Amino acid sequence: MSKSTLYKLMALVVAISLVLAACGGGGGETTQKVTSSGFVCPEPDSKMEVSSKELNLFVWTEYIPTEWKECFELVYGVKINHDEYSSNEEMYAKLSAGGTNYDLVQPTDYIVDLMIRQGLLQELDQAKLPMATLDPNYLNLEFDPGNMYTIPYQAGTDAIIYNADKVANPPASFADLWNPEYANRMVFLDDSRVVIGMTLLTLGYDVNTTDPAELEEAKAKLAELVPNVKLFDSDSPKTALIAGDVDLGITWTGEAFTANQENPAFVYVYPTEGAILWQDNWAVPVGAPHMDAAYAWINYTMQGNMFWLMLRDFPYINPSLAALEYAKGNQPELYNAYMDSPITNVPQDAIDAGHRIEDVGDATPLYDQIWTEVKGGE
Amino acid sequence: MLKRLRENKSFQGTLLVSPTLLWMIALLFIPLILTTIISFGTRNADGGVIYGFSFHNYVRLFGFSTDCPGGQASCFDPLYANILGRSLSLAFWTTVIVIALAYPLAYFIARAHPKRRNTFLMLVLVPLWTNFVIRVYAWMMLLREQGVINGIIGWVAARFGVQFEPLQMLYTPGAVLVGMVYEFLPFMILPIFTSLEKIDVPLYEAAADLGANPFRTFLRVTLPLSMPGVVAGTILVFIPVMGTFIVSDLLGGKQVILVGNLIQNQFLSARDPTFGSAASLILMIMTLIVTYFYTRKFGFGEEIIAV
Repeated sequence: MSKSTLYKLMALVVAISLVLAACGGGGGETTQKVTSSGFVCPEPDSKMEVSSKELNLFVWTEYIPTEWKECFELVYGVKINHDEYSSNEEMYAKLSAGGTNYDLVQPTDYIVDLMIRQGLLQELDQAKLPMATLDPNYLNLEFDPGNMYTIPYQAGTDAIIYNADKVANPPASFADLWNPEYANRMVFLDDSRVVIGMTLLTLGYDVNTTDPAELEEAKAKLAELVPNVKLFDSDSPKTALIAGDVDLGITWTGEAFTANQENPAFVYVYPTEGAILWQDNWAVPVGAPHMDAAYAWINYTMQGNMFWLMLRDFPYINPSLAALEYAKGNQPELYNAYMDSPITNVPQDAIDAGHRIEDVGDATPLYDQIWTEVKGGE
Repeated sequence: MLKRLRENKSFQGTLLVSPTLLWMIALLFIPLILTTIISFGTRNADGGVIYGFSFHNYVRLFGFSTDCPGGQASCFDPLYANILGRSLSLAFWTTVIVIALAYPLAYFIARAHPKRRNTFLMLVLVPLWTNFVIRVYAWMMLLREQGVINGIIGWVAARFGVQFEPLQMLYTPGAVLVGMVYEFLPFMILPIFTSLEKIDVPLYEAAADLGANPFRTFLRVTLPLSMPGVVAGTILVFIPVMGTFIVSDLLGGKQVILVGNLIQNQFLSARDPTFGSAASLILMIMTLIVTYFYTRKFGFGEEIIAV
């Protein structure tokens, strides 16, 4: 090796170490934590003591803003493991089989009740939770009186949607869906409880009935309707609506809001019998290994300056007063879109008229049998 | 130990198959026993299993109900038997159509110039590199009311000034059949190709020398010698089609309930693992019976060569 090459090499080594030192120093000085999408992570209002190094989330598919994960990892130095499910039943089946180590799950109202009875959830310490930032309308509901086990995440409705450009006589009630004019133009949720429940409502029965005679009557009525339904889809009914494969049907808040933003001709109607109301919640399964991180996660993500991201990404009914307050001052466009739309800002009389699905215990297989029969019995 | 390994042939064999054996015991045999035990149990109100020995799940599956709407002691409701029958018939027709489409194609590839043969085989295999579900979504794009096929027909019709009402293809039983045939076609082409390729060319020459015309040669030489491929392909297609539910969900709009959907619903929305287990076992037994009679008639695909 010649002398000059050696000098050059030495110079290079010096230069590299200088650059590295500069970077290291620079990194230590920055106080702002920024996600890969450029979102500046807010500081936690009160930073909690977290000794866990991981947090295992088990959440609905596409149901938390990506910034939350990155920010929480940056702020608390906790690694987030993230599993997803696409139905409450799937989540319940996995948890009740045992052997999981999730710290947080997002059960919907009717399954919360069942999970509490099965001893799958553990009691929460309300003093450590941001209860005061939530709208009391979404607290202390029948499935979890006193919010011993859950804290609300998002709420929504299942109701009627139609394309005003294509439907000349729009439906006003669930009963109207039997109109032969709508034959082969409808998308329904692939959900036995919602569709049978809606049929029960048109007959004037309770949405959670376990009376076999009432259910038999509903089955006969539903059997007339099912051949007129073009498609059952609980994953993304808006896709078929927007693609023009169907013109009306039953869908839920977030899907309706997105369809309406894309094409204002999509109108969401709260039926005269009353819509189906539901609420997703955070809950901690028994045996969760990282309780401290779970509390820190709920507190951090439910801050107004974090939870407003839900308005942007997941336009459902937002139970966080803090998030709405923050959006009002900082994201007026999102706030106005939310407040102006009856899909997200549900009129009080629609909420009062609404019905909640509850677990029906021994009647669950009967509901499924009716569902199989009306769909499969030619 | 090493000495024993070197000398004892049967010990070598045991050692070689033991990983597979353990795999089969842990992931097939034990789950199967659990499924059997659960299928004789009863569901509790929350969807748990009360263990016991009761045939009521099987009785219900075959349509005999003790819980009749009219109040009589027992009645017959062929709901689930119909679903089993529908799955069987869909699997049957899928297999028949797949054979009809795959045989000429496999023949063409086997008779192609060896240089081009590999290219053709690759073309058959390439679609399998894409995920099953994504390929089903591609069919949705093609078949929907404002999809590619209707778009092309509509465009051509407009050029000729013809009125065109978009065809209703997606979310029909026909769409399910098309999807099934598409998904399972390669599994028929490959085994038929393999057995056709193995046929010695002099056999054809001999047939011609003995005065057989091409049609007769096909019936008496080609077809019998390629039967092992058809049999193997049939088993590869028929059995998975019986249990698949993704295709009927996506292309049938969940209008068509097959036995795969039925089983899935029992474990999820109905929360009745006992009934779901019974349905799974019946599906397995039914498939085994069909396969048994089929292979007894046609063999597993190899013996026929000797005939």
